Amino acid sequence: MEKNKAYFRKLANQIMIDLSDDEIEILQKEFEVTLRKMDLLDKINTDDVKEMVYPFELETHFLREDEIENVISQQEALENAPEVKDGQILVPKVVK
Amino acid sequence: MRIQDFKNKDIHELVDLQARLVSANEKLNAVVSFCDVDAQIKDYKMKEDAPLFGTPVVLKDNISTKGVRTTASSRILDNYVPFYDATVVKKLRDAGAIFTCKSAMDELGMGGTGLNAYTGKVNNPYDLERITGGSSSGSAALVAAGLTPLAIGTDTGDSVRKPAAYCGIVGVKPTYGRISRYGVIPYASSLDHVGYFTTNIEDAALALEVMAGRDDQDMTSSYKEVEAYASLLNGDLKGKKIGIITNVIDAIVDPRFRPSFDAFTKKLEEKGTILEMVTIDQDLMNALLPTYFIISNAEATANHSNLDGIRFGMREPGEDLNEIMINSRTKGFSSDVRNRFVIGSYSLFVENQDKIFRKAQKVRRVIVEAVDEALKNYDVLLAPAAGTLAPKPDDSYGEDLNNTFMVAENHMLLGNFSGYPSITVPYDMVDGMPVAINLLARAFDEQTMFNVAKGIEDVTGLAGITKEDF
Amino acid sequence: MNFEVIIGIEIHCELKTNTKMFSSAPLSFAATPNTCTNEIDLGMPGTLPCVNKEAVRSAVKACLATNCEVDRLIRFDRKNYYYSDLPKGFQITQQFYPIGSNGSVTIQTDEGEKVVRLNRIHMEEDTAKQFHTDEGTMIDFNRAGTPLIEIVSEPDMRNGKEAAAYVEEIRKTLYYLGVSDVRMEEGSLRCDVNISLRPYGSDVLGAKAEIKNLNSIANVQRAIEYEMKRQNEILLAGGTVSQATLRFDEATRQTVEMRKKEGAVDYKYFPEPNIFPIRIDDEMMQDIIDNMPELPKERYETYISTYELSDYDANTLVANKELSDFFNETVAHTKEYKLVANWLLGDVSAYLNKNGLQIQESKLAPIELASMINMVANKEISSKQAKEVFEGIVEGKTAKAVVKEKGMEQLSDPNAILALINQALDANPQSIEDFKNGKDRAVGFLVGQVMKLSKGQANPGLTNKLLVEELNKR
Repeated sequence: MEKNKAYFRKLANQIMIDLSDDEIEILQKEFEVTLRKMDLLDKINTDDVKEMVYPFELETHFLREDEIENVISQQEALENAPEVKDGQILVPKVVK
Repeated sequence: MRIQDFKNKDIHELVDLQARLVSANEKLNAVVSFCDVDAQIKDYKMKEDAPLFGTPVVLKDNISTKGVRTTASSRILDNYVPFYDATVVKKLRDAGAIFTCKSAMDELGMGGTGLNAYTGKVNNPYDLERITGGSSSGSAALVAAGLTPLAIGTDTGDSVRKPAAYCGIVGVKPTYGRISRYGVIPYASSLDHVGYFTTNIEDAALALEVMAGRDDQDMTSSYKEVEAYASLLNGDLKGKKIGIITNVIDAIVDPRFRPSFDAFTKKLEEKGTILEMVTIDQDLMNALLPTYFIISNAEATANHSNLDGIRFGMREPGEDLNEIMINSRTKGFSSDVRNRFVIGSYSLFVENQDKIFRKAQKVRRVIVEAVDEALKNYDVLLAPAAGTLAPKPDDSYGEDLNNTFMVAENHMLLGNFSGYPSITVPYDMVDGMPVAINLLARAFDEQTMFNVAKGIEDVTGLAGITKEDF
Repeated sequence: MNFEVIIGIEIHCELKTNTKMFSSAPLSFAATPNTCTNEIDLGMPGTLPCVNKEAVRSAVKACLATNCEVDRLIRFDRKNYYYSDLPKGFQITQQFYPIGSNGSVTIQTDEGEKVVRLNRIHMEEDTAKQFHTDEGTMIDFNRAGTPLIEIVSEPDMRNGKEAAAYVEEIRKTLYYLGVSDVRMEEGSLRCDVNISLRPYGSDVLGAKAEIKNLNSIANVQRAIEYEMKRQNEILLAGGTVSQATLRFDEATRQTVEMRKKEGAVDYKYFPEPNIFPIRIDDEMMQDIIDNMPELPKERYETYISTYELSDYDANTLVANKELSDFFNETVAHTKEYKLVANWLLGDVSAYLNKNGLQIQESKLAPIELASMINMVANKEISSKQAKEVFEGIVEGKTAKAVVKEKGMEQLSDPNAILALINQALDANPQSIEDFKNGKDRAVGFLVGQVMKLSKGQANPGLTNKLLVEELNKR
């Protein structure tokens, strides 16, 4: 399955990431390795086997009581923000 | 260095220890940020019977500390200061801990060498050229160097237990859900465990008592009672049944290994341990690493979608929102991490999920069933923790080596897939470098795990060993 | 219409719990920006979600009220995409195992009753709010994490009226459940409409237009009616309708393209690893069932059968929960159900509209309305007098106080009435003669005279009785 550089660049951009040409070459190689390694997985018979999503499959019953407990100040909410205006996080105008 | 060393000391002596830490870090490069020990000493109100009275503790830099920079050794978080504490931090502090520093790690937990921290290579005190392993690199180095009795890390794919082996110390990964993950910057949520390093088993048992317990903020945390692991510690190996995983033994090529290991198992047998060989399906063992990468990369990609430069972290400029996000994330993550995100994303596409992500999750189940089958007849499973001594950065066991030999490096993934508790315990020195074994016990059976580990420690006499003259 | 119109509706409803879906920060409305959040809502590194029990209860109630099958094992999934209003870079939702499925509601159409099927009801969390200005977009995370339930219908509706009726039925049901304010104009109820056309007899769905951000039920209907015509014209001319996302322009009453739908976005759904499946046990389920509030259709049935109201009156009352609650409280004190309905739908509603009030904001008390109506029924006051009394009780006065104040207290003392009767008889000897000659209308005339003498306050029934007795004596 030949996947060219443009394909990988698009994949990366979809997750808000860019890659240089060199990086894409490395990625292409790693991709090949991953696909080859899939053979090792395909060797394992998983017919009628359900996915294991959690290490323990216990049903829980806990639900949080609907009571206000943890609120932070506006200052704390914004103190790590790179750009702030009028008590809100600021980004370039999002074109709709 | 042990936790009890600090019980009767004047806590002001920690200032000297901190100075030693700062100085030693020049050689170890294990620290991202130093904590304000003076301020903590000044405000210190703990009573002397507190479990960790006056105990200095190191925190891996993916553990959120209020008011203290937390970077997960990633450039994108280089300026990030949390306004809240991880649950485990609160528990340690309430028990009397004084935090000395945030330790370096492989970026976002994604690595096993200690070469991928934003601050650079972390050095092994036993041989500064060699790696510590990862991702809890700095935490391992600092305990091994005798600069802290307790260092917290995380273990997603052996990231506590492997560096423990390379650095000749005790490394614990408790059962999944035993210690709350709230406030711990994640890697792969279904595989992440909070773990830690000590120089001896008694400290390891005590530390778990402090950190374990149900936390409603972590809906995967366990309700199981926290036992008095330390006071119930019993190192009597008589009658203990241990299954030695042959797949790992057979995979080790270093000729120095066998004599050392055999001498060790002989000592165990002399103490009345019943040792048997157990073999797990080799195809499953060969599938461990790819299964791990697929699950962890996919979960990690999703987990780190919040690192976008918008609300916190290093924001790069851009003309529009997309550009800001792309520039921030491109500059903020290493090439390696970005590649892994792309592969992770790919495996989650609708057309790929069945073949890749879900297939890996199914193989996980088959693997865990095999672990259950192997553990059935034993108190614990045992295997060498690593296939080699701590490598030098240029030593590569990349794709040239056969899968079979990779088994020796990756078998501790069994503990992450199953969630079962696992501990690395050093057992010998070979040519000046430590070698260790790893135990895997049943879910929530940490007591048995600690007991066998204590028995091993008694037999090897290596409790408390550190390398301070680096 | 030359083509069959297929309409499906997705409704997002903001629950009015105290705290967010996955964190214990409070909900907000018009609060100062970024004052109702915590680290979880902001998607800070290391945070984990914690499921709100009340949100789950509300979702279960919505399922029960719409005949959905409830999946008692609660499971969440991640919907992954990047946007500035999505702090974690994914939304926690229920893709694979929605809490409710295979439900239905019944609506009234021109052709009679129609069942609209529900595909699913699921829980999820809301995004942050954004304000677009020329200097940039500002983001307020107060709303981030607010619990939502999403209700997805099957594409069972065929025109704008049915769609409007459906949305109204859902709105009313959710309102009666008390789980949400369901105000479209405030955003606690949001509607997206999917509409496509196809030839009659075909079972293949045509290209879908999605109309978003509709802010009233009336606009839901208008937007659909415009879009139906628009697509119809395109198809008649031999063209094709392209998939698009539209908004409704209120001024021009037309749908306007927002962006072309580029095929489906892949959200890479997978199960949320940080929330173990949660089972709603029998006790919790039974508790929810036992505490279900009365639903609109149950109330309607009661109005028809127990109170014997007309279909119109019953529907009109039920449509306004507060008015209906008021009715219920009033009929606890009077058996004149029809009169109560008349007053509420007539004079009371007129008064409220005139003064721009909701009934719960007025000073009218149910017990006083009942009191007044009872007086009319017992002929203690006339209908005309009742209108005067109404003006008083609507200010918060008691009926009895107003009656006294306006001197309308009825004369019921037989002796006093007898005195007036004798006065009237003495003044009208001809009427006595007429009565003796068999002219019954003399009685009516004489009763009128007594009423005049008593300034309208003599009890008419009693007056009549005593007058006849007296006439017979004379």
